[in-house]
Amino acid sequence: MSGARIAIPRGAAPWIWLLPALLLLLPGFVAPILLVARNSLNIDDPMGGMVAALTFANYADILTDLFYARIFANSLLLSAGCALACLVICYPVAYHMALRASAPARILFWLVYTPLLVSVMVRIFGWIILISDTGLMNSLLTGSGIIAQPLRWLYDTEGTVIGLVHRYLPLMMLPLYTAMRKIDGAVVRASTSLGASEWDTFRRVVLPLSIPGCVAGAQLVFAGAISDFVLPNLLGGTSLRLLAPTVLSEAVTEVNLARSATLATLMLAGVAVVLVATQQAVARWCRWAANV
Amino acid sequence: MSERDRTQRLLQLYTAVFAGFLVMPVAVATLLSVSSEANLNFPPAGLSLRWYAAALSAPWFLEGVLRSLALAAASTLLAVVAGTGAALALNHYRFRGRAVISALMLMPLTLPAVVLGLGLLFLFGRLGLPLGFGPALVGHAVAGVPFVTYLVLSALSGYDLSLDKASASLGASPARTFVSITLPIIAPGIAAGAAFAFLMSFDNVSLSVFVTRGDTLPLRMMQQIQFYADPTVAAVSTIVVAISGLILWLAGRALRPKARASG
Repeated sequence: MSGARIAIPRGAAPWIWLLPALLLLLPGFVAPILLVARNSLNIDDPMGGMVAALTFANYADILTDLFYARIFANSLLLSAGCALACLVICYPVAYHMALRASAPARILFWLVYTPLLVSVMVRIFGWIILISDTGLMNSLLTGSGIIAQPLRWLYDTEGTVIGLVHRYLPLMMLPLYTAMRKIDGAVVRASTSLGASEWDTFRRVVLPLSIPGCVAGAQLVFAGAISDFVLPNLLGGTSLRLLAPTVLSEAVTEVNLARSATLATLMLAGVAVVLVATQQAVARWCRWAANV
Repeated sequence: MSERDRTQRLLQLYTAVFAGFLVMPVAVATLLSVSSEANLNFPPAGLSLRWYAAALSAPWFLEGVLRSLALAAASTLLAVVAGTGAALALNHYRFRGRAVISALMLMPLTLPAVVLGLGLLFLFGRLGLPLGFGPALVGHAVAGVPFVTYLVLSALSGYDLSLDKASASLGASPARTFVSITLPIIAPGIAAGAAFAFLMSFDNVSLSVFVTRGDTLPLRMMQQIQFYADPTVAAVSTIVVAISGLILWLAGRALRPKARASG
């Protein structure tokens, strides 16, 4: 080693590696979120724009208004329902691929990553073709005489649910599959060789050990679904008002920026509470999960 | 048939149905692009390439593609630099605040995107900067950081730090060590992270809708779907799927272990 070198103080090395990330995330991520929280304390000027203030008036308005209470309830229930639906739909596939199928990795890649990476607009357009009143599903059902009237799924809650489940299935699949891959095959074989039936082995070995994956996947689906406004706006109807589309329309259409900031802050707090609470629940009631 | 075999068959059948459900909307959206009719009936009554001609001559499509590709390329570059640096710091060092930094790097993944979109709208407004490419670039880059960090971190698992020490003791500068030792090892992670970041940006709506003028490709597609749904969108969809496939293929090539040509 030769030549003059800039002396790097001890302990600074990690921060030098972190510098680009901090230069991006502090102004581009932390600052905008703090600004949303700050602006939620402003007042909307009916003539346009915001008046700087430090008041909880927006929170008081929103939290006492039944209109918004219903929106929060709708979004919480719908997102939780989507998380549960994704879990139920994915579970057998993850189980099959992680513990039984012979060549799972390649199939998993095509099944999970590819849909995750196909534009959501393409998928929405596909669902419109499939479930519209005159779409493929309804023409098959009415054409074969199973139903007389077409099912009105598009531009209603069914459309939103189908779109959300389809969009977020891969986010459930990844942690679920990872958790099941970690299950030691020897434990499963031991259970079977000690005389447990296949069902008992599943119920007492595989199911408990997969719970961390279930929770991690459900968290991702929940957080994704509750903040999604694209699918409700394009596949859903007006009968079910949801939180994320309301944040967008208050900000962009109504130009109630402070109110929009308040709704966004409440959404953020709600998501954080649900994520932390489910994490705590796993840590408390699934002690075995720590060893998986 | 034993009970185990029967369960196996059922699971195989179910997995096939699951795959069908995942693929179906993408399949019909792309297949409709060769329809000869102006409606969205499936299967199409006849075949034609007229919707490709319509798409390729539509200004909204060409402008949208170029804008979105530029945005995706630029934001991926930022995300790769930031995420790779962060992954190296988190993997190689134990320092005060490491847990906080680690959480911060993955946070853009679970934080509702509408909150960030609204925040960027506020930030650029307060700074007096124009909306459009700038705030979209920042937002998309932030959204790409968790993918790059996570995938480079997993490429680093099992990384032997004594390689760095050996390189340094042989007189290599830190930069030389990084380029000839570290980079080849983490290249697959970087490629996978870059592919994810690129495709996420190319498809982004939730940030762009707040901070652009509605001129990125996904936003243009959204307007088309909402107001004039005809098979032009199907042709555009097919092209978008082809672009995504190309990106995945390129990333896949980078992921494959290379035969060492030179020592």
